[in-house]
Amino acid sequence: MFRILLRKFSEVFIFLLFIMFVSFLFIRLAPGDPVLTILNVDELSVSQEQVEAMREEMGFNDPLPVQFGSWLLDFVRLDFGTSYSTGQPVMQTLMSALPATAELTLGALLVMLLIAVPLGSLSAVYRGSWIDTLSRMLSIVGAAVPSFWLGLILIDLFGVRFGNLPTMGRDGFASLILPCVTLGLAISSVYVRLLRSSLLDSLSQEFVRSARARGLSEGRIFWLHALRHSLPPVITVFGVSLGSLIGGVVVIEVLFAYPGIGKLVVDAIRQRDYPLIQGYILIMAIVVFIVNTAVDLSYRYLNPEMKLKEKEAHR
Amino acid sequence: MNKKMFPLLASLVLGAGLLSACGSSNPETAAQSPDSAATAKNVHFLYNFATSSLDPHVDSSYVPLRAGITETLVRLDEENLTVAPWLAESWDSEDGQHWTIDLRDDVTFQNGKPMTGDAVKASLERALTESVAIQNALKIDTIEADGDKLSITTTQPFPEFASELVNPNTSIIDVSEPDIVNKPIGTGPFSLTSFTPGSKLEVSRYDGYWDGASPLDTVTFSFNEDANARSLALKSGQVDIVYRPEVESLESLKAIDGMVVESASTFRVHQLTMNMERESIKDLNVRKALDALIDRQGIVDTILLGHAEAAIGPFLPSLPFAPKYDNKATESGSEAAVKHLEAAGYKSENGVMAKDGKPLKLTLLTYSARADLPLIAQVFQSDAKQIGIDVEIRQIDTPEEYMASNRDWDIATYSNLTAPRGDAGYYLNATYHPTGALNFSGSEDPELTAIIDELNLTVAPEKRAVLAEQAANYVHDNVLNSFVLHPSTIVAYNGKKVKNWVSSLSEYYMITNKLDVM
Repeated sequence: MFRILLRKFSEVFIFLLFIMFVSFLFIRLAPGDPVLTILNVDELSVSQEQVEAMREEMGFNDPLPVQFGSWLLDFVRLDFGTSYSTGQPVMQTLMSALPATAELTLGALLVMLLIAVPLGSLSAVYRGSWIDTLSRMLSIVGAAVPSFWLGLILIDLFGVRFGNLPTMGRDGFASLILPCVTLGLAISSVYVRLLRSSLLDSLSQEFVRSARARGLSEGRIFWLHALRHSLPPVITVFGVSLGSLIGGVVVIEVLFAYPGIGKLVVDAIRQRDYPLIQGYILIMAIVVFIVNTAVDLSYRYLNPEMKLKEKEAHR
Repeated sequence: MNKKMFPLLASLVLGAGLLSACGSSNPETAAQSPDSAATAKNVHFLYNFATSSLDPHVDSSYVPLRAGITETLVRLDEENLTVAPWLAESWDSEDGQHWTIDLRDDVTFQNGKPMTGDAVKASLERALTESVAIQNALKIDTIEADGDKLSITTTQPFPEFASELVNPNTSIIDVSEPDIVNKPIGTGPFSLTSFTPGSKLEVSRYDGYWDGASPLDTVTFSFNEDANARSLALKSGQVDIVYRPEVESLESLKAIDGMVVESASTFRVHQLTMNMERESIKDLNVRKALDALIDRQGIVDTILLGHAEAAIGPFLPSLPFAPKYDNKATESGSEAAVKHLEAAGYKSENGVMAKDGKPLKLTLLTYSARADLPLIAQVFQSDAKQIGIDVEIRQIDTPEEYMASNRDWDIATYSNLTAPRGDAGYYLNATYHPTGALNFSGSEDPELTAIIDELNLTVAPEKRAVLAEQAANYVHDNVLNSFVLHPSTIVAYNGKKVKNWVSSLSEYYMITNKLDVM
């Protein structure tokens, strides 16, 4: 266990540096720079010379390796710079928005679990029954409906017509319900189908038959053996799709005016706020790394076979 | 019990338990809100941009000023569209370079401190240090304060100086406060109580406000960037005033009893920028033909659903320096366009407009950041096709960047603010002066440049108006650019609750000390 963690952490530095380098290249090679935004050319009279002078001063005319070098120097000093648009330290800005996004993502995951686990289990246990058909229909609809549209429908239903749920902002628990349900519904369809097929596979395994032969109760067999054995593929998909989940959060954050990190970065991209974009990529890379490590470690708990094999290898 | 039923029941119990946990705290919060609303006079305003910083000198969404927290030395008089006194009583300059400003002596900051000349000096100096844009805009060399008098020298003769002080980023704040980014202290009718970056701010009445304290106790100023969600928030009664609701939702909003929908033309113009470096566009007759082809009223009616004003020139007709164009009504429509093209030597051959056997092909740039522009481009493309001009639409990402560094296009849809602070100097310099950063036409017209240069040295407002009008007429006569429409700002509010709302043309002044509830 310790060795795995150690190896992982030594890998992570190279991984982060590589990600930051590639993203640095992509951001700088994209057309446009923040100079016009900083000078507010849309409203203030600016001459071409002033634009050029600003570009020179900010180092955007330097060759890319020089720009990356100076960025890297700041990076190893843990100086992530200040946002071009607000003048605030990037990490402080991102860190203050991160809890909101974490809350939203966790809430959506909870909703997803509440939908996917019962529906996936029931449609596996009662395969071919009406509940299986219903879950299939829901999954197809869920996968086909864009989340912003679903969000608008939910706002109309529960914010305007039949209820008084808050439709925007971040004001305590009530304001989390609609965004979390929207996002949770949107992502649950994949997991319902995945859990169903994984469960079906487990339920037909030898160990289930032998458990029955030993006279274990159906509940025990289901919860402790079949479900546990079915989780690794679901968790793998979750780990891999976490990036796109965070991407989905952006749409929801804009729709529900939820002050999270996704909305922040969309604005940053529009304004070419390089330090903020780089900071976001760094944080996301770390989050994805942590989640993937947790996923790897969870296999060992969910699938005892792995632990046994490791022990054998040590002998 | 059937053994198979166990997982079913277990899942249901688990799900139901968690769902009821979610629901239980909801009525609690719902019950709290009407209670607090009954005790205080509150207006909830919903704005279409979000900001994550309230630094009045940096925040380009101008929220501190718009929410009534800060004020500037001078403001735009919304009726006469001229620069009017605000925190400054009067200002004067003989040469446009040495300015004296007399401040009001009855103004206090929201922390009770008086607004002195030294405080204003410190505030302006902070704006200059924090924002390069303001440094460029104000061109201030030195500031001296003496009691309630300020003496400011600009680095060059700069007659627009006073109107540049309308800019919300020159707001006067108490710079001795520790947390300007999250809690600026200004002189406005409302002081900040709380701020959630990217989401909303709460402000409460400042009783010591110099122009008469507001009748309201508090105002909530929220942000939502999704137009549909804004309309729905108004329908649900969660907010009272919505800035720029979804245009398609207006009919359903109007159908609600007591709902008021207002629409006011803005200082913005959607235009067709001509690339004067292209051979075909260099010909005045071709530019006249393209101008005639634009179906302005049709675009206003179909694309903006009537919420815009067809434009003849760059300036909103109500501005004092906007030309009248009375005797300059030009013919428009495809027939007029064909006539101009024939004058330029083009002939229609097999339904294709061509000159010396070369068909007229144009590349039209557009971008989606302003949703109307690609639609305007499509209408233009189809109208041009009718008379045999082949228009290829090219979608670009950042128009300013693209147009400045690529010259492989003929025309471009673009949107410009033409007199954001009640003066024509900004637009004319940026767009038509050879050194202007928005001079995408590449226009280098000595006659026009001379007019702008003279404008840049003229202090008297009346004389400036004459010169600005002259420049606008020159642009019109030579079709240096073609103007399509002035889009309107739409505001919808609950007329049964909100009193004295005024939709500001400049879009600067939103939460004022006059705003009230029934």
